[in-house]
Amino acid sequence: MATTPSAATLSMSEALGRLWTKFLPEIENRLAILKLAADSLRSGSLSAGQREAAHQAAHKLSGVLGSFGLHRGTELARQAELLLAQETPAASAVELSRWVEDLKILIDSRK
Amino acid sequence: MPRRILIIDDEDDIRQVAALSLETVAGWDVIVASSGAQGLIRAAEHQPDAILLDVMMPGMDGPTTFRELRKNPATAKIPVLLLTAKVQGPDQRRFADLGVEAVLLKPFDPLTLSTQMEKILGWT
Repeated sequence: MATTPSAATLSMSEALGRLWTKFLPEIENRLAILKLAADSLRSGSLSAGQREAAHQAAHKLSGVLGSFGLHRGTELARQAELLLAQETPAASAVELSRWVEDLKILIDSRK
Repeated sequence: MPRRILIIDDEDDIRQVAALSLETVAGWDVIVASSGAQGLIRAAEHQPDAILLDVMMPGMDGPTTFRELRKNPATAKIPVLLLTAKVQGPDQRRFADLGVEAVLLKPFDPLTLSTQMEKILGWT
């Protein structure tokens, strides 16, 4: 038998949609910080400060994306967070760039 | 009377999603604070039934805020649940050893956060 979502679920879903729209610029800003770090890593110019900023951005993304239903987004951001937690080898640039691209696709799909 | 919960988190998005969840799903009253220092004041002022406390905050972090809450007789007995995106075992054990009621992981499910809290706090 098909079940219908409860009023609370529907109201929650609508309200979450509004919050997503409200916080999307901040989420995209965090993604931009990550992308910049991936680009710098590729060109060999990733500074310690930039890495730390990207680490923080990845941490924040991993903590929030799943609450908006983007569980894969949380996984990708968590991988980036772990990678950026310490001095990041230039060889990881390709991997980091791929995660950032996948995150962008996921975030765009929620718009 | 609805439960009253204090959410202490520096991230505006997390604060608002958690508040929305607890208000909409459970019908609880929610008070928010965006820093540990503000949280200490709100906790003493509003006497919430429980506190959801973020671990990583600039300035006074979650563990420090928790210790300060315990030092003040006005807030010493309020149950505290830590919220963290740190999923690694050693981190979680370190947080649990502080004496909090529980360590909840981010991201949380907005539809089940209140149920999870009720179970932990024995409110069911």
